[in-house]
Amino acid sequence: MNDGLVKILDGNTFVVSDANGDIEASLTDPTGLFSFDTRFLSRWVLTVNGQRLGSLSVDDLQYYEARFFLVPGTGTVYIDAKLSVIRRRSVGNGFHEELTILNHSEKPVSLTVRIDAGCDFADLFEVKDALQKKGTYTARVQRGKHLVLGYERETFRRATSISATAPARFDKDGLTFKIRIAPQGEWKTDLDVETVQPGPRRGQEQRRDPRRANLTMQRNLQRWIEEAPRVECDWDPLKTTYRRSLVDLAALRFSPPIAGGRSLPAAGLPWFMTMFGRDSIFTSLQALPFTPELAATTLGALGNWQGSRLDDFRDEDPGRILHEMRYGEMTAFEERPHSPYYGAVDATPLYVVLLDEYERWTGDRKLVRDLEHEARAALNWIDEYADLQGTGYIWYRRRNEETGLENQCWKDSWDSISFRDGRLPGFPRATCELQGYAYDAKVRGARLAREIWKDRELADRLEKDAAELKRRFNRDFWVEDGEYFALALDPDGNKVDALASNNGHLLWSGIVDRSKAKAVAQHLLGPRLFSGWGVRTLAEGEGRYNPIGYHVGTVWPFDNSFVAWGLRRYGFKDEAAEIAAGILDAAVFFDGRLPEAFGGYERSQTKYPVQYPTACSPQAWSTGTPLLLLRTMLGLEPMGDHLVVDPSLPTSIGHLELLDIPGRWGRIDAFGRGRVEVGSSRRRR
Amino acid sequence: MVSAGDATTRFFEELREREHEPRLRGATGTYRFELVDGKKIDRWLVTFSRGDVTVVRRGGAADCVVRADRALFNRLASGELNGVAAALRGEFEAEGDWRLLVLFQRLFPGKATSAAKRSRAGYARRTK
Repeated sequence: MNDGLVKILDGNTFVVSDANGDIEASLTDPTGLFSFDTRFLSRWVLTVNGQRLGSLSVDDLQYYEARFFLVPGTGTVYIDAKLSVIRRRSVGNGFHEELTILNHSEKPVSLTVRIDAGCDFADLFEVKDALQKKGTYTARVQRGKHLVLGYERETFRRATSISATAPARFDKDGLTFKIRIAPQGEWKTDLDVETVQPGPRRGQEQRRDPRRANLTMQRNLQRWIEEAPRVECDWDPLKTTYRRSLVDLAALRFSPPIAGGRSLPAAGLPWFMTMFGRDSIFTSLQALPFTPELAATTLGALGNWQGSRLDDFRDEDPGRILHEMRYGEMTAFEERPHSPYYGAVDATPLYVVLLDEYERWTGDRKLVRDLEHEARAALNWIDEYADLQGTGYIWYRRRNEETGLENQCWKDSWDSISFRDGRLPGFPRATCELQGYAYDAKVRGARLAREIWKDRELADRLEKDAAELKRRFNRDFWVEDGEYFALALDPDGNKVDALASNNGHLLWSGIVDRSKAKAVAQHLLGPRLFSGWGVRTLAEGEGRYNPIGYHVGTVWPFDNSFVAWGLRRYGFKDEAAEIAAGILDAAVFFDGRLPEAFGGYERSQTKYPVQYPTACSPQAWSTGTPLLLLRTMLGLEPMGDHLVVDPSLPTSIGHLELLDIPGRWGRIDAFGRGRVEVGSSRRRR
Repeated sequence: MVSAGDATTRFFEELREREHEPRLRGATGTYRFELVDGKKIDRWLVTFSRGDVTVVRRGGAADCVVRADRALFNRLASGELNGVAAALRGEFEAEGDWRLLVLFQRLFPGKATSAAKRSRAGYARRTK
C-alpha cells in the first residue's frame, strides 16, 4: 500500500514528507520531522523563484536516507526543464539535507531559492487525537546564521535549530538564497535541522559530520546483515522475504537513552518507534536464533524500567513490566500515562520466558544473574498482583479508567474478547493465553532458579505451582462441547466460550494436557480457524466474527508464527509446516514485507491476501515472523550445548539451508528438504 | 537548619539506615544530589555497590548529578510527584548515566491511592 509519503528514520527520529520532500502538516496530519514523540518541524517547503517543484522520482536509498529528483513546475507537463533540483536527505539528530540545483541551459540563471520553515511541536498523541497546544511559540534568528523555532510550556522546552552552509538570509518563517548559476553549472548547500531537547548527549559525531554519520550507518547495516545467518533456498521468494526481514528489523532498532547505544526492537515504523514490553519481547523471541543481542538489550532495558510501586494512573505494580514508554509533552504533563505505562499483563510472564529462552540459546549466564532481582520480582508479580480474583489466574482490570487500556492482552481492541453469541464479558477478565504464559514463566523460572541462581526452594515451589496451574487450567478453561480452550473467564468464572487463535499460544506455552492437544491442533488447522493463508484471530461462525475485524477474524502473521511454534512443541510438525507455507506464500504478495494483519477471507475465495489497513509498516513482530517460521520449519531447538535440527518443510520450499546460526555452540549450519505436502486439497477447492 | 526533617532529609536518612537496597542491585555507581533552597545548596552523595548503599551529606565526584529545587525534591521523595514525568517536563537538571537515574527513581514512593484495594487482592486465597 502506497500513501505517496516518503518516510526515513533512525531510531525514534523520523521524517515523513511528500514525494517532493516537502512537509506541510496540519495538527492532525502525520507528516513532519519527529523525535522522541514530538514534532520538530511541521513546515518545510522549497520554492524556486516562488514556484513549487514537481517530482520526477524518489530514491529511498536506505531506510535512513532518500533522494528527491525535482523540476520547477507542478503540472504533469513541465514547462521549464532547464533546471533540475536534487534534495538528498538523511536522518541524524534531526535531519541533514543536501540541496543541489543544476542549470542545464547555456545561459547563466539568477534564482531566488526559498525554504519556508515552521513548527507546531505537536505531541504524537495530539496528532492522533487532534488536540490543541497549551504552550507558547517563539522564532528568532541567531547571529544571522540560525533560525531557532521554540516551544515552551512552564519548564517544558523544545526547540529546532535550522542552518545552512551557503550564505542565506534568515527570517522567522524560513531562509532565502539569492543565487546565480553559470551555464551548465551547479549550486549546492547543506541544510541542517537539529532538535534541541533534554536527554543524554548523543550523536556528537553525527552533528559534526553528517556524511560520516551516513557512512557509519551504512557500515552498521552491512555488518548487521553479514552477522545474521545466511539463507540458501530453492524457492527464491523465501530469500527475498528473509532479506526484507533483516533490513526492516535493522530499521526497527531503537536505542533507548538508557541502553548505552545498544538497541532493541521498537514496535512499528514510524508511529510506534518506542519501547513496548509485549512487542519488544515477542520480536526478540522471534529473532533469537538470528540476532540474539536484541533480546539482551530488551531484557536489560525492560528490567531497568520494571515497576516498583503502586500507581493507579500508570497501572503500575511492583515487578510489572512496562507496556509502552513515551517522551512527549502529554506524557510529561501526565495527560497520558506513558512515563512509562504498565497496562499489559502478558509482558511480565513473557519477560521470564524470554530470559530463559535467551540463556538456552546463548549460554549467557551472566545476564541471568544480573537480572535475578528483576526476574524474581516478575515471578512474584504473577502471584501477588495479577491474581485479582484470588483464583490462581492472571486477571486484568485497568485502574486508570480515563486513559488506561481496557484489554491488557495482545488482542487489545474493545471487542476482541467475546462469548460465542457475541456478548462481551465484564471485568476483570482472565484470557487463556495469559495463563499459558504464566505456566511457562514458572517452569522456566524454576530452571533458572535451580541451575543459575542456585535456589532449590524457589525452583521446587515454582514447579509445584506450575503443575497445579496446569491442572486447574485444563479443568476450568476447557470447553467440553467444542473441545478447545475458552478465550477467557469472566469475573464470575464463566467460560468466555468463543474459539480463537489464542489456543495456539497455549500449545506454545506447554500448558495444554497431551490428551487435549490433538483436538486443539485440529481446530487450528480446521476450516473455522484456518483460512488457507493462516489462522484467523477468531473462528468463522462466532458471533463477532468479521474477516476484516481487527482482532475478530483477520489473520496476524505474528500470531501464526507462535501458533506454528506451539504446534511443533506438541509434535504436530506437518501442521506447523502448513501454517508456515501459508504465511510465507502470503508474504510474496507484499514483496516479503508481511503486514500487521490481513483479511480472514478463505484463500480460495480471494486468491490473494487482503491487507488490513494500518498506519505502521513495517511492524516489528510481523517482520520477525519469517524468522520464527524458519526456526519452526527447521525444528531448531537448543539442547544443552548443542542445536538440534529436525526439519519439516513444505515441498514448495525444496532445499533449505540456514548457515552460521549463532549460539552457545558457536556457529552451526542447518539443512532441510521439503517433504510435507501442504494445502493441495484446499487449493483445488 | 531550615530543611532538617523535611521529606528530602527523611528520604536520604532512611536510605542510609537501610544499608542494603535489593532494588538497586544493578546500579553500581555514585549519585550526587544538589538541592537548592534559595542561596543554600544541600549536597548528598549516594553510592551503590551491588545493592549496598552508603549515603553521606557532602559533595564529591559522581556518575550522575541531579540538581533540583529542594521543594521539588520534597515532592518527589514523598511520592507526590512522578520523577520521570518531572524529568520530561524539565523540572530539574540531570547529567550523567541515564540508566542509573532510571534505576534510582524506583526508590521514590508512588501515590498510594490504591494500596488498600491492592492489598485485598494480594492477600486473597486461591481456591484449590
